Amino acid sequence: MSISRREFLESCAIGAAAVGAAGVPSSLGAALRGGKGALAPGGSPGGGEGGTPDPVFRPLTDVALETARSLGASYADIRVARYRDQSAFLRTQAEPGGTKIQHVPEVSDRESFGFGVRVLVNGTWGFAAGNKVERDEVARITREAVNVAKTNSALMREPVELAPATPAVDLYRTPFTKDPFAVSLGEKVDFLRTINDEVMKTPKVFMAMSYISCRFEHKWFASTEGSYIEQYIQRVDPGYGATAVDRAQRKTRDRSFQIGAVTGGWEYIEAAQMLESARRVGEECVERLSAPPVKPGKQDLVLLPSHLCLTIHESMAHSTELDRALGYEANFAGTSFLTPDKLGKFRVGSDLVNIVGDRILPQGLSTCGYDDDGVKTLRFDIFKKGIFVDYQTIRDQAHLIGEKASHACSYADSYASIPFQRIPNVWLKPAEKAVSLDDLIGGVEEGVLIDGTGSWSIDQQRYNFQFGGDAFWEIKGGKKGQMIDRVAYQSRTPDFWQACDGIADQRFWQNFGLTGDGKGQPMQTNEMSHGSVPARFRQINVLLTE
Amino acid sequence: MLSRDEARNLVDRIFKMSKSPEMSANLWWQQECNTRFANNQITTAGFTSDLRLNISVTLGHKTGSTSTTEASDDGLSRAVQHAEELAALTPEDPEYVVPLGPQDYPEIAAFDEATAGARSVQLLPALRSSIEAAAREKLNASAFFDVNTTAAAIANKRGLFGYTQRTWADYSVTARTGDGTGSGWAESQSPRLGEVDSARVNSVAVRKALDSQKPQHLEPGKYTVILEPAALDEMLMFMAYGMDARAAEEGRSFLSKRGGGTLLGEKIFGENITLRSDPFDPVVPGWPWSGELPSERTTWVEKGVVKTMMRSRYWAEKTHTKPVPFPSNMIMEGGSPTLDELIASTPRGLLVTHFWYIRFLQPDTVQLTGLTRDGLFYIEEGKIKHPVNNFRFNQSVVEMLKQVEGMTAPMPVNNNRLPAIRVRDFNMSSLSDAI
Repeated sequence: MSISRREFLESCAIGAAAVGAAGVPSSLGAALRGGKGALAPGGSPGGGEGGTPDPVFRPLTDVALETARSLGASYADIRVARYRDQSAFLRTQAEPGGTKIQHVPEVSDRESFGFGVRVLVNGTWGFAAGNKVERDEVARITREAVNVAKTNSALMREPVELAPATPAVDLYRTPFTKDPFAVSLGEKVDFLRTINDEVMKTPKVFMAMSYISCRFEHKWFASTEGSYIEQYIQRVDPGYGATAVDRAQRKTRDRSFQIGAVTGGWEYIEAAQMLESARRVGEECVERLSAPPVKPGKQDLVLLPSHLCLTIHESMAHSTELDRALGYEANFAGTSFLTPDKLGKFRVGSDLVNIVGDRILPQGLSTCGYDDDGVKTLRFDIFKKGIFVDYQTIRDQAHLIGEKASHACSYADSYASIPFQRIPNVWLKPAEKAVSLDDLIGGVEEGVLIDGTGSWSIDQQRYNFQFGGDAFWEIKGGKKGQMIDRVAYQSRTPDFWQACDGIADQRFWQNFGLTGDGKGQPMQTNEMSHGSVPARFRQINVLLTE
Repeated sequence: MLSRDEARNLVDRIFKMSKSPEMSANLWWQQECNTRFANNQITTAGFTSDLRLNISVTLGHKTGSTSTTEASDDGLSRAVQHAEELAALTPEDPEYVVPLGPQDYPEIAAFDEATAGARSVQLLPALRSSIEAAAREKLNASAFFDVNTTAAAIANKRGLFGYTQRTWADYSVTARTGDGTGSGWAESQSPRLGEVDSARVNSVAVRKALDSQKPQHLEPGKYTVILEPAALDEMLMFMAYGMDARAAEEGRSFLSKRGGGTLLGEKIFGENITLRSDPFDPVVPGWPWSGELPSERTTWVEKGVVKTMMRSRYWAEKTHTKPVPFPSNMIMEGGSPTLDELIASTPRGLLVTHFWYIRFLQPDTVQLTGLTRDGLFYIEEGKIKHPVNNFRFNQSVVEMLKQVEGMTAPMPVNNNRLPAIRVRDFNMSSLSDAI
């Protein structure tokens, strides 16, 4: 038995017709739940740019904008958002004390619906949010936001200044061909079971764990500048892993299938070769359990895109966030060694290192039509030929480094969160001349090849980092050799990227979506993709872990 | 605020919407008032109110879970109906455990009316004094003041019901010198806004920023270190909340024994290590429940010996023993010296304010990596001599707790109470340029 997407929508509509005392106008709730197009593309390619937003929320968002204006706000915006987070998770292992393989499922499908209002009064920001999407509550919450701004303007030194944004009335939908919510949770769990069964076929695999999560964000943005933007953003996130245990040695090792999350639909999961890779993942997990330890010391590294995504994230993406560089994050996430005086001249990487910020990248996890400031998304250079050339910015920061426009990097992780500068998709450009992975490995006498992400840590100014991985192989005499283990490497951002002497070409480019990036107080999480090609780094300090 | 009666009423409405005899609900209402500043000026601030209603329906041994923020009949019935549909689609859970009936959850004093009513204006005086204190010393201060009020309820169709209200206020300040060579941090937290010691936070952050500027070079290596409670907290939590019986008995934990079995009852830490949880602690109150189980006082480690491990209801059934609820606070017994006395009795060592970005390096041994931050000081002959560069450490917590040679009385830090400790042979593995 399975619930079809259509039946679910019908059940929503039935529910919406029976609106109770709380007085949510049914059309509003239904509009954000069912929304035309987004949840039911019916197999036809959907999404992309352009279109007319549904005016259903306009009367409600106008309440916030009018209330804010009447109380003295020079600017206000409101985001009304519904989120749906569906998760299927399956753990497979032998029955405790026995040998029978059993599958332990965990499924959930959670929704949240609410709004957040942001105001500028006396040059100071105020924000308030609530979960009752109704007129009186929108007005009350807007007054709370104005109170926050008025109170805090007592300590204002320099008024907030917003870089200009072109007002937009627009609709954006993530392109996808198969609605991931139309695949029932039952089917999803069945698929996970086939994967786990395949992983468990390797004797000595103790446990397999797999998941598919789908996230749907439907949000409306309205501002006093005349913007009215509706967006449907659809993400899918699949993955799995194996665990092997050696009781005699008290040793546990994992091997994962890390493909990363994307904006898109079920077609991504179908194309991901999850089942086809499951036997290998189980085998490599067991191989890792008895792999010999790495010989520590200076070695050459060849890093695959599945691993390099996190190194790019921590060292090159975080260091080029303007709010960090300006000290806004000093009390938590930290500052940056890339201070504004280095802009346009400081060398971080070798000539091969070209990195862009990009919220229009197809399938990028941070890809959308407009950021949470209502600014149209774009692509921009961050590092050109190793030189640091630009920051990630939002509207209230751009002028602080003399820029005229925002780079559209504003994001809030919920209706109840304040939008602020977050990392967009940040990716490494491939080499222009033909270079293969074998070419990179072929140039290494003694080194390590690393796949996937493991342990990671970097200091609060983004210099000193140390990374593990998910699987390691030794490189000897230009050839990939046996699997090794207990590997971590430690370096310093400019030393490391200047030691990059080879990157592969376009054929080897892969995108990896990361989730769970934390920043801000209260902390918010962010998601983005870091695409790259295999790359080689000379004479990096390799450590042996305990 | 979601009152006890409102919570009961919501639960009744939810449970009436399904014929399924097994249903459970977790209700979570939260109000948050916070203000943030950086470079001596307020940046962002907010006031938010939110409600999460988590609903599970079980059919046989199949459970579906949903949640909604909409307490209208429409919102609730959709969530309930969807949970029923999910339960029907889900395979049987072989680790299903029959829900508990009514429980006596302890009353825990963790709510303060004045804190629950706080708005931006109540936070302003502390922020103003921090900005002024920093400006007087030509420092750049950044801070976060956060006040949370939570009402939560747990219920199932077998008559289990629990309700709690809690408040929590947290103020932290980082002060930095204009040239970026000095940084100091301090934090104060309490269930009661009136007990947040912003004056101490200001003076410590400012003093550490001034004292830490222009650090001297020190090579990586093994050092005797004094970890302030915040530094110990950041490391210890990777181990303390991971003392799970199942992982240990399955051979997947630092508490597993080579060759099989566990280290329960064995002395694996120094004689001076005793670690407990106490939900009734007035300074760091715990939660009344953990899963469905009533919270209880537990001793995890006594005089270096592992006494108890956390045990889920499923694993307890499987192993024919009693479940041990997962704790909501950790209390480590300490000694009598003050931090100043601990420093005064140190011939040579480092004083660590706190750490940053700690992650597992090797989970088997609880080997962690992370970096010192916001003030690392060199101690010689019982005196703080000068600041030194920050380090990355690679260090096992288990090994560290064999090397503790002195402790202060425990102090509140996050939801725990921990001493400052002096540890031998702490592995500072590489230099960190960051300040």
